[in-house]
Order: sequence, then structure tokens, then C-alpha cells
Amino acid sequence: MRALGANSWLLYAMITVVSWGAVGLLQKLSTNRISSRSVLVWLFVGFVALLPFLSFTQLSELTPTLIFLGVLSGFLNALGSWFLFLSLESGAKASVAVPLTGLFPLITVVLGVSILRERPSAIEWTGVACALLGGILLSYEP
Amino acid sequence: MLPRWLIYALLCILAWGTWGFVAKLGADRIAPGPLQILATAGTFPLAFIAFLQLRMRLEKDARGITYGIANGVLSGIGLLAYYAAVSRGKVSVVGPVTSLFPLLTVALAFLFLRERLNRVQVVGVVLSLIAIAIFSQ
Repeated sequence: MRALGANSWLLYAMITVVSWGAVGLLQKLSTNRISSRSVLVWLFVGFVALLPFLSFTQLSELTPTLIFLGVLSGFLNALGSWFLFLSLESGAKASVAVPLTGLFPLITVVLGVSILRERPSAIEWTGVACALLGGILLSYEP
Repeated sequence: MLPRWLIYALLCILAWGTWGFVAKLGADRIAPGPLQILATAGTFPLAFIAFLQLRMRLEKDARGITYGIANGVLSGIGLLAYYAAVSRGKVSVVGPVTSLFPLLTVALAFLFLRERLNRVQVVGVVLSLIAIAIFSQ
């Protein structure tokens, strides 16, 4: 895989895919044993465990807007997880709800194209379509 | 009127979809480390509400706890890489590619939990590989 050069993002994206893939497995394993709410608490503990490895130096230079954006991103991510387990608690079938929530990158695409005026090329659109559909189909477990 | 589970699922899509975009706005200006520190702060209110709803009592299942913490560490590592990826590319392209993570979940569940893939998932594997191949060019 020639992941560097013009597509230097791909290498990082693959690290995300691998770590979140393992997260998917750990979520299956942990929710068999503890409640979704406990998983969220331990997720936070895991985040805190990473803090000593992260650089704090840039924080003092950030504008209030950027600090707000960073905090908001963490909040929205956890909020999404919360809605997913509320959905499952309200009687959703996991086989329907989980692939359905796999549609979330569609919103990201719409926001990127409309607000940041990103213009993916035709071949990129093909890849985006395959990735979106592939992600949804993969999480289908009847 | 939509059933309640569907409303929650749609709210989940909205929250995660907006997260992907907001994280891009942050990652364009903030290095991955500091951004994850801020995101950790943003996670706190919901983790705290969850803790209160559990009446401040967490289950004492050692394995469950280990999986839960590992889940957090790996989610965090995935987020750090996501910030690095979106700061280098278009979020409308990078976002969908990172959402291919079920590819690994399915592979790991096959290896460790002996879960077999259904036909729909096999089509998903093929499409995901096509997407990765396209962006590897």
C-alpha cells in the first residue's frame, strides 16, 4: 500500500480503523458483562489513562473558540454513544440500529462539502460511496 | 410518529456525524494530543451522568472493567489518529474511510469469537476493500 505522499492521511485513517475495530470487539465483550453506562464510565477512565502521554504545551496558546470546539467534539462523540444505547434500551434491534447508525459519516460528508466547500473528485466520491455502504453492510448482524 | 428507538438512532447519527466535522475544525488548528485532552474534558459530563444514574455503583466484574478501560484507551488512540488523518485530508473523504472500522471488528470476531460472516457482511468486506484500494492509489 502506498499510503504516503498525496494520501498521507490514509496511514492515520488505517490506524483509526484498526483501533476502533478492536473497540468494536471490546464493546461486544464488555457489554456482555457490564451495563452500557458503566462502559461509558470506564471509557472515560481509559481516556484519562492516556493523558500522561499527551502534550499539554499547546493548550495555553489556544483561543477560547478552539478550546470550545475541542471540548464540544468529545461531548458530541460521547453523546452519540449515549443515544445509541438509549435506542437499544428503547427496544431497537441491534441488527437494525447498529448498521443504521453507521450512516453517521454521511452527515460529516454533507457538512464538509457544504460548510468547508470540499470538492472530492469523481474517483474519491466512488471510494466514499464504497466506504459508506461497506461500513453499513459490515455491521449487519441478523 | 416515529418509534422512540428510531428517534434515538437518528440523534446518534446526528451527534456522531457532527462530531466528525467538529473534530476536523479542531484538528486543522490543534495538534492531536491537546485536542484529545479537550475531548476528554468534553466526555466528562456524560460519564459523570452515567455514574450518577448507576447510583455511583459500578459492577465489580474485573474482566468487564478491563475490557471497558481497554475500550477507552483504544478509542483514544483511534481518535488521535483520526485527528492526524482529518488534518491532512478532506473530512468528506477521510470520515467515511475511518468508518470502515467494522471491517476489523468482523475480522477479530471471526478470529477470537468464532463468529461467522453473513452474506451481507461479505459484500461489506468487498466494498470496504475497494474503498481502501481506491484511496491507496
